[in-house]
Amino acid sequence: MKAAPITTIKTIVDTIEDAGAGVKLFSLVDPDHWDLPPFRPGAHIDLHLPGGMVRTYSLCNDPADNGCYRIAVKRERVGRGGSMILHDQVKVGDTIGVTLPRGGLPLDADVSCFAFVAGGIGVTPFLSATAWLRRTGRPDFKLHMMARGEPPLAHLLAPLKQTGHVVLHDTAVAGRPDIASLIGRPSPGMAIGCCGPADMIDDFEKASRDWPDNRVHVERFVPPVLPVDPNARPYMLVLSRSKIETRVEPGQTMLAALLGLGIDVPASCCGGICGACKVDWLEGRPVHRDRVLSPAERARSLMVCVAGSADDRLVLDL
Amino acid sequence: MLDTIDTEPAIQGAVVPNWTGVVRYLHITPRAFLPMRAMPELRLIEGKGIEGDRYMIGREEGFYSHKPEEGRQVTLFEFETLVALKRDANIELGPGEHRRNVTVEGVPLTHLVGRQFWLGETLLEATRLSIPCRHIEDITGKAIFDPLINRSGLNCKILKGGTVRVGDAVRNVR
Repeated sequence: MKAAPITTIKTIVDTIEDAGAGVKLFSLVDPDHWDLPPFRPGAHIDLHLPGGMVRTYSLCNDPADNGCYRIAVKRERVGRGGSMILHDQVKVGDTIGVTLPRGGLPLDADVSCFAFVAGGIGVTPFLSATAWLRRTGRPDFKLHMMARGEPPLAHLLAPLKQTGHVVLHDTAVAGRPDIASLIGRPSPGMAIGCCGPADMIDDFEKASRDWPDNRVHVERFVPPVLPVDPNARPYMLVLSRSKIETRVEPGQTMLAALLGLGIDVPASCCGGICGACKVDWLEGRPVHRDRVLSPAERARSLMVCVAGSADDRLVLDL
Repeated sequence: MLDTIDTEPAIQGAVVPNWTGVVRYLHITPRAFLPMRAMPELRLIEGKGIEGDRYMIGREEGFYSHKPEEGRQVTLFEFETLVALKRDANIELGPGEHRRNVTVEGVPLTHLVGRQFWLGETLLEATRLSIPCRHIEDITGKAIFDPLINRSGLNCKILKGGTVRVGDAVRNVR
């Protein structure tokens, strides 16, 4: 039987800690304790959970410690189900596939002072960022942590509390503080960041309206849709022999659409040069974009890893 | 005129390139996506691959392991390409980032397809040039796909196994 492509990083659940306020802290490691791919402070990864669910979590450890990925997960009974699986089903020793880390806070070297605003479990990217700032000798930051009652991850916040780097705001007692007063006015060499519930982020974005864009960082629980080429249009991809049609969305590759249909297309470079994924086309006008086919070959074939369609419908000989 | 060049292998075989190179870096990783780790020496197993590496035949934990390839037991990369990337494209690529196993200096890898050569005490046969892939851009976060076209390294079979160390000579078979 042909082996399936490896699409995720294989990790093992090394430890699971109770971190208070309905939160569990998971450490994911390589089976041989090899280093994991590096990450920026506060980057996030997708976890491929049992049952096929994919969920995104921020890393909360120092990027210098890439022997493990640490994520904090709050059990949400009315959430989308990922936290329930992690809390109720996942055990130490289980295997979980994760993606390469993405994103993270832009802690530029020309910024010397930071103000972070976090709501509840939204503190996780800032735990990673503040660990990195402390270790690299940039201790001028303040983390405003809002939570109803006991904050999550109190044991990770304790050292920051001792040094005066964190201010806890119990919103059950005094409500949410005025975010504008926490971040202050824009000043050179200062940057601000926020992660938390959507309404908190809305308030933060209003309060930071006068700040330059490159000094403001917002982490959302649900990632926004990635920007796509404004000229890109969806099209129908028709497989003549299989008698299957599928819609290819703007920004999606034809290869991804075919793999999504379970069509086994041999692909390798995914950049239009190796020639592995050549497929013949029958109708429509392909947009080729490859660097491997000659004009004569393009008259009958295309490379599905990079090709698009100039028409609303493209028919492949598959 | 290009169409007057005789590309028959018999003619190629009559010319023995004159070079001697050196092993600058050695790297392996046990699984797809994981960082390559610098090693002082590697153990090459005849007909199989490198001990501990993802593409060792039978292990099959590499990104391309679902495409089995007998000629991918060990991969080489030119140190000179790292210098050229910095010089021509202002890209700093470390010897652990190109994801080939052996970084060599002074070895004309693109000339070696179909030839045998010594890597330290091991004997290799070059099967094909490596091809850059978008996967490496995902891992490194660096736009290196285009600059690596035609200089992305060499795939080889291991004809005689043994231990390869940093500093070992790389020599032609004479």
